[in-house]
Amino acid sequence: MTIIRTDPLSSPHCRHLDKERELIHVDCASHVYPDGSVGIHDMCFYVQKNEIVALCGPNGSGKSTLIEHLNGLLTPSEGNIAVNGRSITKGEITDLWREVGVVFQQSDDQLFAPTVLDDVMFGPLNMGMSREAALNAATGALEAVGAADLVQKLPNYLSGGQKRLISIAGILAMKPRIIALDEPTSDLDPVHSGMIEGLILELKQRFGISVVIATHDLDLAARIADRVCLVRKGSVFAEGTPDEIFYDEELLQETGLKPPQIVRVYRAYCRMQGILVDQHPISIEGMMAAIHGK
Amino acid sequence: MSAASLSDHIPDLNLITYYAEKQQSCFSCLSPWTKFAYLILIILLVTLSGNLAVLSVLYLVLLLVYAAAHLPVRKLLGWYTMPAVFVLSLVGLMAWSEPGNPVISFAVAGFPLVLTDKGILLIITLLLKALIVVTFSLFFLMTTRYMHFSAMIYRIFPSPLDQIFLMAYRFLFLTLAMTASILKAVRSRGGGLIHSVRVQGRMFAEVFALVFIRSFERSERVHKAMIARGFSGSYGTATTIPALRLTEYLLIFVGAAVVLAVALVIPSYGG
Repeated sequence: MTIIRTDPLSSPHCRHLDKERELIHVDCASHVYPDGSVGIHDMCFYVQKNEIVALCGPNGSGKSTLIEHLNGLLTPSEGNIAVNGRSITKGEITDLWREVGVVFQQSDDQLFAPTVLDDVMFGPLNMGMSREAALNAATGALEAVGAADLVQKLPNYLSGGQKRLISIAGILAMKPRIIALDEPTSDLDPVHSGMIEGLILELKQRFGISVVIATHDLDLAARIADRVCLVRKGSVFAEGTPDEIFYDEELLQETGLKPPQIVRVYRAYCRMQGILVDQHPISIEGMMAAIHGK
Repeated sequence: MSAASLSDHIPDLNLITYYAEKQQSCFSCLSPWTKFAYLILIILLVTLSGNLAVLSVLYLVLLLVYAAAHLPVRKLLGWYTMPAVFVLSLVGLMAWSEPGNPVISFAVAGFPLVLTDKGILLIITLLLKALIVVTFSLFFLMTTRYMHFSAMIYRIFPSPLDQIFLMAYRFLFLTLAMTASILKAVRSRGGGLIHSVRVQGRMFAEVFALVFIRSFERSERVHKAMIARGFSGSYGTATTIPALRLTEYLLIFVGAAVVLAVALVIPSYGG
């Protein structure tokens, strides 16, 4: 994959990469909030089967607004969003929440039910599952995120990391095809961040769920994303694999982001050794291999 | 959640829930339905009987039960402040018009004000009634797991009252935590609740406005998160409430018989 710079002015529609694998296609969608502020503008974005996409951009760039569009919480003022070829704008699909689950940035906003079990069962019951089926789905989801022991706890007494796990379980129990996570590791300690990171990889590898993460933690994106989309001023203006994107200093500067730690360390090493940055490692293992290879 | 208590005079929801979840007393083993039935019986009793002796005995028994359940008795005294103020503010006016033997009398702007023995009895009786209900309600809350309590609400109350309650409880915790953190910020800079209300009234108005606005914003976010999971207007709880055992049926029967006997046999006043 090479870096694709998106210029909305150059074409009236966003391109399809691979229609067969495409789950969501956001076609030149724009959203203007009632107060007149622009959430997204001519946004082109797609999600394919079984991939992790990272939406990276500074605060206020439109990542969260895009995520709310993916779930149907917001509908575009202009443009179109299609899920499995069915258009939201044309009203062909109205219950997008069944297909795309959203894990919000603040877990306290998501956990509203009296107990953990009630909260995780909330989605499955809304899907029309019987109480027993919803209970099974909730128990299974809690086991999958490693929080089966929290089933009877009250959300008030959970740590930030546990709340985040329960939030993910609440979505996983609905068995969506895509899960979008807004800043999944913000405010978490390194241990819980690591757990969430492992869980996101598991969502893709074990459950075959496509994952969209909105983050400005580029280290996280570098470690787990298959594809990175840089978001600026409400539009995806470049996309590519993590190694392509994160080694393009000019691109990151344009977006207002700094390269991940691993990229900075590797660049510093190369500078100190007086050698060319001809490889693009984005993991510790990759960097070690690159250093030993030199 | 480690939110500090807002005040010693306001029941601390975190502490109440802590005791409820700890389940350390024998009363925790009772079915929540038994405790609920007793709450109804106690409310009936204090409604039907105004006998001071009966109310005093009932209050003492409840205090003993409360202490036997290893619940914090000292905290209870602080938590009585609000119901006591509420009762006194209402009865304080009514007591002056009660007929009986004058105890205190004086004139205000030419109008004679007389507090009689019946007036004082009325204050004490109503105060006792309020404290009895508050004590047992706290006992009920502090010995019943919240999951059971919420499931009871879900089964007892009609929609949308049950929905409002189920959502309000969790939201209350979050709002209290938010208020506590704002007050902590005030205290960290030398402010205090009473001191600041007097000296920095405007700032306090701003603090509470901030709590209101933040709560409003949060409720919008919570609603959004619910819609994202297909919320269509109602939701329930999955918890099963422990059923009544035979001995508990007997306990309720005995309680009901006592209430009936007391209400029918013992005269209201003059105990």
